[in-house]
Amino acid sequence: MRSILTIILNDLKIFFAQRGNLVGLLVIPVLLTLVVGWSIGQIGGGGPTRLRVDLIDNDQTELSAILIEELRAANDALVLCPLDNDADDFCRLGEDPLQLDSAIERARSGRTSALIVIPAGYAAALEGFERINIDYYSLSDPLLPSPVLQSLNAVLQRAGSASITTGVAGALLDNLTAATDLPPLDKETRDGFLRSIYLRSQEMLTEQPPPVRFRVADADNEGEDGSSNGFNQSGPGMGSLYVMFTVLGGMAVLLRERRQWTLQRLMALPLSRAQILAAKIGVYFTLGMIQYFIVFAVGAAAGMDFGSDPPALLAVMAAFVLCITALTFALAPWIKSEGQARGLVLLLSLSLAPLGGAWWPLEIVPEFMRTLGHISPVAWAMNAFQDLIWFNGGFTDVLPEIGVLLAAAAVLFIFGIRSFKYE
Amino acid sequence: MQLMVETRNLRKTYSRPDGSTIEAVKGVDLEIRQGEIFSLLGPNGAGKTTTISMISGLVTPTEGDATIGGFSITTQSMQAKRLMGFVPQEIALYPELSARQNLAFFGRMYGLGGKALSRRVYELLEFVDLADRQKDRIDTFSGGMKRRVNLAAGLLNSPPLIYMDEPTVGIDPQSRRRILDTVKLLRDEQGMTVLYTTHLMEEAEELSDRVGIMDHGEIIAMGTQAELTQQVGEEDRLEFTIGAQEIAEDLVERVQHQTAGVTRILSNPPEQISDDSSESTPARLIIFAKRGRTALPQIIQTLDAADVDIQSVAVREPDLEAVFLALTGRALRD
Ligand SMILES: Nc1ncnc2c1ncn2[C@@H]1O[C@H](COP(=O)(O)OP(=O)(O)O)[C@@H](O)[C@H]1O
Ligand SMILES: [Mg+2]
Repeated sequence: MRSILTIILNDLKIFFAQRGNLVGLLVIPVLLTLVVGWSIGQIGGGGPTRLRVDLIDNDQTELSAILIEELRAANDALVLCPLDNDADDFCRLGEDPLQLDSAIERARSGRTSALIVIPAGYAAALEGFERINIDYYSLSDPLLPSPVLQSLNAVLQRAGSASITTGVAGALLDNLTAATDLPPLDKETRDGFLRSIYLRSQEMLTEQPPPVRFRVADADNEGEDGSSNGFNQSGPGMGSLYVMFTVLGGMAVLLRERRQWTLQRLMALPLSRAQILAAKIGVYFTLGMIQYFIVFAVGAAAGMDFGSDPPALLAVMAAFVLCITALTFALAPWIKSEGQARGLVLLLSLSLAPLGGAWWPLEIVPEFMRTLGHISPVAWAMNAFQDLIWFNGGFTDVLPEIGVLLAAAAVLFIFGIRSFKYE
Repeated sequence: MQLMVETRNLRKTYSRPDGSTIEAVKGVDLEIRQGEIFSLLGPNGAGKTTTISMISGLVTPTEGDATIGGFSITTQSMQAKRLMGFVPQEIALYPELSARQNLAFFGRMYGLGGKALSRRVYELLEFVDLADRQKDRIDTFSGGMKRRVNLAAGLLNSPPLIYMDEPTVGIDPQSRRRILDTVKLLRDEQGMTVLYTTHLMEEAEELSDRVGIMDHGEIIAMGTQAELTQQVGEEDRLEFTIGAQEIAEDLVERVQHQTAGVTRILSNPPEQISDDSSESTPARLIIFAKRGRTALPQIIQTLDAADVDIQSVAVREPDLEAVFLALTGRALRD
């Protein structure tokens, strides 16, 4: 173990002794992170354009269904969970049905933007012109405008107005029948009449412009200026891109070490091949983590968020770095020259990064590109970062992404270790 | 006499990218005794580096095994490697690090640390006369200086056995002299066993207690220098450098029949030194003869009569070059 550490430290010392490496590790990524972060912040595309909202309907009536439909119409950025969950499980529900307890927990931890609970008796209350509470849970400050709350209010206002109209109409009807001495209407006819009035008034209210309009740029209102959101995208994005540059660059170094016979000298030492390989893997893993830390430090200084689960964030970083390290070792045996290695590093980094959403969020690309993007490990890392940073997710939320990255790493390592060229 | 290195039927077959295979070493049996300098002498491509790589654990033999101080290099490689130092043919140092940093790193890998490490590193820098340049990066060193640090790196663990693979390639005569003296010093003052490879007959002659001559992956002769030269008998070697011209078959036959004592004649046509060079090695005529000095006047007369342009002639007594010539029909440097 001590020998492995000695080799890792020595290789890091050599890496840092080369000025060109410092430019690649420090200067360029830092500049890019800032530039991309600011630009994305300016165009307001920094964050997810969809908001995850849990909705529990304990009423299950036609009227509660109308409320839900209204809510969708009021703000198409809302993804109502579990009703509107997509194939990618945007709701992060997994297989479990949504329970009140877990939904409250999700809202409290910020993994969802809000939880809306429609109580049983909602329809009855509306019809009876009674008071009823819709429970709304959210992390965001109730004094600050929240897109979800605004949408809900607008919808409820309409429902309320419609219900007043119905109430008035009902009273009118009763008075009319009493005054004209007509036989009282049977209950069924009366209810049908009132419902049609309710729906008609809903309709009319809906056709009016809603009192509040939702804008994407307001997606994250945590009292910070809009541009800092850009770093939530550029930090993980540029971090992952430069992890690829730095770690994949190891292909050329491994080749050089065999050419200059320093690898062979290591093998003439009383060391096992496994120890040498472990040390070399350790070197590139360490460099990758250093690269993430550099970019994240710059992001932090510029206002990037890190979510609320640092160990989970570290785990995602480590899984991605390990995956790229494995890719490096899987490709290294096929490299014939340093020029070839450099070309491959550029090709891989510059194609896998945008494909995986390192430059801009995958949310804004067409569906098929998003699907295609998931061949890139960057996409899985960015998904996980988004879960942690935007949705305050925890370890369990990013387990699938970590799993995919580690599985890819395992497969690539098997190839790399089997064909590693000692001779 | 105790054996330090013993190899049995060492073989290495490489496969080329095009699918063909090359047998770089074809069943080598070596016995290197404790405290001797053993040279592997052979032209480029003979398989010297591959042999050393196998007995130092860099390359897994395709077949066969070797023991170092009794430890098998394939099954007890850790113990075996602790007994040896290794000076590869390449400058196996980190160019970005200083001489001292390089030695300190490899020293640490042998488990040295603290005072003992710095003492050993300084001792070796003094030994190769580079203490004043210890803080300079390797990539600022001359070829000769790099070779000396390369050598020092093989001595860090004070091993009883050291391998040196062509340690004088590409350096100036002064540095070469220094290294050859160092090798002798290691044997004479520290009792080390040295396995030295070279393609230069002079180096093998100066250093070796025993020599193994290697060609095309095989040891074609092995023994002390006296034993080896006896194999070629008492013949002297007459080396004629001649102008660029073909030597006719019948002239060769005439020389052979008309001169008493001539046993064999080799004629090497001129060769281009390299593809992009207009220079070429002069044509040579090599004649083996008993009592060469006596035969010389008669041979010159015959060649003169055939209008051969003789530029120089040398008479050599039996040496390792002659052994190689006799066994392969080629000169070592070809
Ligand atoms: N890694 C390798 N792959 C394929 N062929 C090799 C390899 N190493 C050496 N050879 C071939 O094996 C032969 C012996 O090489 P080597 O041991 O380096 O000879 P020497 O050190 O005596 O010059 C040469 O023909 C060389 O081309
Ligand atoms: Mg060689």
